[in-house]
Formats: sequence, structure tokens, C-alpha cells
Amino acid sequence: MKLKKLLYRESVWAFILLLPNLIGFLMFLLIPLVASFIFSFTKWNLMSPIQWVGFANYIELFKDETFLKSLWNTIYYTLGTVPIGVIISLFLAVALNQRIKGIKIFRAAYFLPVIGSFVAAALVWSWMYNPEFGLLNYLLSVIGIKGPGWLTSLNWAMPSIIITTIWKGLGFNMLLFLAGLQGIPQSYYEAADIDGAKWFSKFLHITIPLLSHTTLFVVIISTINSFQGFDLIYMMTNGGPARSTSVLVFYLYQNAFKYFRMGYASAIAYVLFFLILIFAIVQFWLQKKRVIF
Amino acid sequence: MKKSLLWIVVLILSMSMIAMFSLAGCKEEAAEEEVAEEEVAEEEVAEEEEVVAEPVNLKFVGWEVSPLETESVEKGLEIFMAQNPNITVDYNPIPHDQYTSKVLTMMLAGTCPDVFFCFAYDYRSFIKGGNLLNLTDLFNESYSIDDYIPSSAAIMNADDSIYGISSCTVSPVLYYNKAIFDEAGLAYPPSDPADAWTWEEFRDVAKQLTIVEGGKTVQYGVYGLENSYMFSALIMSNGGSYWNDNNNITATTINSPETAEVMQAIYDLRVVDGSSFLAAQIDPDVFISAANMLQTGKIAMLIDGSWALQELATLDFEVGVGALPKFKDAITHGQAHVHAAWAQTEHPEEAWALINFLSGDDYLLQNVRAGLWMPHKKEYYTEEGIAKWYNPDVHPEGFTDLAPYFENASVEPTAVNANLKVNDIFNEEMGKFLAGDEDIDTVLASIEERANAEFAAAE
Repeated sequence: MKLKKLLYRESVWAFILLLPNLIGFLMFLLIPLVASFIFSFTKWNLMSPIQWVGFANYIELFKDETFLKSLWNTIYYTLGTVPIGVIISLFLAVALNQRIKGIKIFRAAYFLPVIGSFVAAALVWSWMYNPEFGLLNYLLSVIGIKGPGWLTSLNWAMPSIIITTIWKGLGFNMLLFLAGLQGIPQSYYEAADIDGAKWFSKFLHITIPLLSHTTLFVVIISTINSFQGFDLIYMMTNGGPARSTSVLVFYLYQNAFKYFRMGYASAIAYVLFFLILIFAIVQFWLQKKRVIF
Repeated sequence: MKKSLLWIVVLILSMSMIAMFSLAGCKEEAAEEEVAEEEVAEEEVAEEEEVVAEPVNLKFVGWEVSPLETESVEKGLEIFMAQNPNITVDYNPIPHDQYTSKVLTMMLAGTCPDVFFCFAYDYRSFIKGGNLLNLTDLFNESYSIDDYIPSSAAIMNADDSIYGISSCTVSPVLYYNKAIFDEAGLAYPPSDPADAWTWEEFRDVAKQLTIVEGGKTVQYGVYGLENSYMFSALIMSNGGSYWNDNNNITATTINSPETAEVMQAIYDLRVVDGSSFLAAQIDPDVFISAANMLQTGKIAMLIDGSWALQELATLDFEVGVGALPKFKDAITHGQAHVHAAWAQTEHPEEAWALINFLSGDDYLLQNVRAGLWMPHKKEYYTEEGIAKWYNPDVHPEGFTDLAPYFENASVEPTAVNANLKVNDIFNEEMGKFLAGDEDIDTVLASIEERANAEFAAAE
């Protein structure tokens, strides 16, 4: 009886102590989440009364040329950033996993972009990409190539954004891989050495399988990040030229805070949510069979 | 020992958290800090005011495009508060990009400021939403809509009612570096719109002023036309138009041979003649401002808004201002924001007093003399009127000849269109044409189809 009373009391206390966090969670996460789900079935511009339209927003989405283009751009952006980003950061992690003097300086150097602000990254890269004054086209001109208008060409704008995104996220993925690498017991490599294995076969048969856990995590995180890509695009190209870099979150932002179509924007948010959800489920399911624990 | 170690860890962790947050939010924070500083400054000013019977406090918001503008608002408010000792005004600038969403949110929350800047393109939808105080009667007591220049009147006049008062106008014009023209031995572009260059004359001069050295263009004839704000003036000069009815837009009229001719000419200027370069190749925030390019001789002529004179006048070179080249008529367009009061303000009389003040000499003239604005009423374009604002330190020789250009400007097309998605469709499709991806007829047909579908859907 006494114990029960105490338990009861403890849970009350726990609740009270958690309250500040819970209020924040409710106010800024759960309520807006539910509200935007409800809004996705309405038409509302913050001025006229809210109008219930059922599934009309979702139906309109799949007829909306700009939405479909943004959806394709999001897939393009993801396919461009995730595989290349993951492969480069894996090789970088392996390279930086050596016991060499001053290796920490290199690790820090590759990690620096991650802690830098997106604004700074966007400005510096826009400058480098500038076709008139930029460093990239100057370097290309030295070897006799006329560089494209990186951010101004319909074909090059997205690859340019992808390059910057990979550069910005490289350090974070590398760090995760490094942690994973350092968790692999040295004894496997020693055993392989005794068997006379070459570097590449050790990499293929020890490193990659034992890193599969980390790789899964990195792939999921980077995919979710690139589905939500916005900052660099907003600052470097503002979705242009001719919407060639308009991704889902950018179009969502425009609908919500430029066109004031809150219902439509909420519908885009939920389509994005389900896309990410489906993707994550498929990935977990696929890897369940492959990942070596 | 262990305890102190723990403290160090906590300290480091919290510091890194702070660093992370400040990095993530550095842009917003900077803006907030500015606002906070200004609030402090305002409070100081307010405290200095003497206590009078029945004091009224007005909340006022606007955006900040240049520090000069905020400074001039504050200077103006000081004068206003001195003239109206019972009214204090708290002014808070909101970042330009977030302006409409913040104001709408404040309206929904019932905490909207009494008086605020209102974008011309938001004006009609705000009225429709019942958010603006009807000023028609108060306005008619002292003014007539005919006192205003046509472009300002077209923005303010919403079905014969007035909900917002304009306080200035801006228009695209042609700037040039006098030294470059002198060196080339060419006549300056005419200031008087009656003598404006034809497109052929302009194109010829731009070609002559383009200098190529060793395969690289070191000086371009002109820059700035490939921007919808600028080229819309040329489309209108060729007799083209944007909307079927400025007061109630239901369709676009952009798909016309007049538009096609102008756009093709602008495209050829860059692609065929090499006298210009793609607008998006220069991001003024990132590298070099257009004003600096004109100063350093990277370009000989610049098409830009009249507000640019404020910056150009502070640079150390001789700048000239002329009329844009004409296709059929020498016209430009004009637009500016209006000042409006919230429909639910508790102090409509005082709000009107402030709006009225912001439309008058004390506030207007300082900005016109600085080169940022042009006046919005006809009275400022008479000889005495011009004498009030003309400032030889800022306005180049012959600038007064250009006065009728502003006075007679047509209303800028995007100022009367509340459907911003349509503007984005225009920019997207025109972008395809300017990038050389599609021809002008395809693009115009596509704009027409998509924009009209958008208007129909928004009904």
C-alpha cells in the first residue's frame, strides 16, 4: 500500500518535472502536426474563413505541374547527394582512420563545413560558382575550358547545389563512419594479414560488412535530410532558374509563406511525410536481411 | 575534484549548445538584435516626451530594405510626435521576406499594429479579407484622388474606396557612367522622355560601348534589362500589357506580338550583340553591386530602379540618369507601398493622423532629397514642387527633365496583382526563354495558359 502510494507520487512528480518539456512538445510539435493534417483538407489564406475541401488539395497536387516538377527535383537531388555523399565520406573515413601524425587536423578540416552556417556556405559557393568572377570558371579557363553558368543554367543549377550539399554534409557522415571503423576489432585485420589478404579484399570483406550498421544509419539520415533540403536552395538559387532547383520543401514554403495557401502547403507536407515514411520502412525492411550484426 | 570536473563538462556542453544555436539562427538573431536595439532607442525617445493628457500609443511596423529607410522613418516619427504630443509611436521593422506572413499572423492573433506598411500587391487581398480600416471619408475631407500621380492613384483606388495612402513612387530608369561616354565620344542618353532613344539607337550605343579584349569582354554596354521589373516597362512602352483589368484581374494579356518583340530584342542584346550578360550571373548580395559595376566601368549603362540613385550618388564618379529606350511610347511604370491602418485599431483618428503625416512633406522630402524615392503627388512636379525636393548633390544634371517620366508613369503590373503564384509562373517561363531553352512564342503561350488557369482556380 505504502509502495503504491509512493509510486503514485513519483509518477506525479515525474509528470510535473517533465511538464516544461511536455508543454513545448505539445505547443510546438504535436498540436501543429495535428493542426496541419487537418488544414491539409481545407482551403485557408489566413484571411478568408477556413473552408473544408476534403481531398481536393491532394487531388490538385497530382495535377499541379510545379508540384510534380518539384517532386522530380527532390528525387534528383536525393539521388545526386546520397550515394555519392555516402561513398566519398566512407573512403574519406577509411583514409583518415590511419595512425599518422597530424591526422586530427585533417579530420577537423573535413568536419569544419558541418559546423559552419548554411548562410556562409551558400554565399561562398555562390561566389565560386559565379560565371563572371567566380573561382571555378577561372580555374577552368586556365586549362582552356569555358565553364558553364553554374547556378544560372537549367542543366547545371541542380548539380551545383548537389556538389555544395555533399561538401557541407561530408564531415558529418565521415565522423559516423570513423566511429564505426574504430568499433571494428583490430583482430579481424590481423587475422586477414596472416592469411595474406590484400588491402582491397580486407576492405571488401571486413570493413564493408562490419560497417553495414553505420551505413544503414548514414543512408537513412542523409536521405531524410535531402528530402528536406531547403536552406542552400533558398539562398543560392531561390528555386530557379525556371524552377530547375525547386524541391518539395521549397515549394511548400512558397505555398505557405508567399502564396498563403496554408491548406495546400499542409497537403504537400503530408505527402512529403508519407514519402519519407515509406522510404524509411522499405530501407529498414531491405536491410534487415542484409545487415550483419 | 570530481565535482569541479563535472562543472567543466557542463560548462563546455552549454557553451557548445549556445554556439550551435547562434550559428543556426545567426541570420534571424542579427535581425532580432537590430529590432531590439531600435526598440531601446525608441523607448528612450518615448521617455523624453512630456506626459500629456490622454496619451495614445500607436504601434507601427514596416520593413527595412535599407538602413536609410528605417532612419528616415524614425526621424519622421520624432517630428510627428513633436507635432502630436499626446501620441507616442513604437516603430518596429520586420525583415522584408517575412513581412506579410508576420503581419497576417499578428492580425489573426488580434495583436496587429495600428498602422503598417502594406505592399501594393497585398493591398487588394487585405481589403478583401476585411483587414484594413476604410479611410475613404477621412481621406476625402482633405484630399482628392486626383491630387495623386496616376500610378499611385491606381494602386490606392480600390473600387472608389481608399484603405491605404501612398507616400512615394519608384520607377525604372537608365543610369550611365559619364566618363565612359566622354571617352567614347558619344552623346549622353537623353533625360527628357520626349527625346528618349529608340531601341535601335540604344542598341547601337550599347554595341559601341562593349569592349572585348583577348576574347574576354572587359566592358559591357548595358546591364539590368533581364529582370521582370525592368523589362515590363519596355513591354508597356511597346503597347503591350499584362492584365485584362487592373482592378479585377481575371486573365493575362501578356501573350502579344508586342511582348514577343521586346523580349526577343532584350535577348538579342546579350546573345547576338554580346552587349550584356545574364541578370542572374551577378548576385549583388554575393559579389558586386550593379552600382559598383557602373562605377568601375564594368558596364557603361545600367537599367535599375530610381531608388538606386541614393547609392549611386554616394559613389565617387559622375553618374547620369536618362529615360529608358522606347519602342513606341517613352513611358516607364511606377509603384510603391501604401500605409494602412488595421481594421480593428482602437485609435482610428490617431492612426489616420500618422498615415496622413507619412504622406506629407516632413517625411517624404528627406527621402526624395536622398535619391531613394520620387514624389507621389502631382503638386511636386510643378516648378515650385520640384524646387522643394531637387538636390543638386544627388540628382544629376538634367534630372528635372526626367520629372514628367515619373509623373506620367503607368502603374507597375505586379503592384496590382495579388496572385503571387502568377508572378512566379511569369518568371519561371521567362527564365526558360532567357536561358535559351525555349523560344518566346512557346513561352508566352505557356504563360498565358498556366496563368489563366491559376486565376480561374483562385476564383
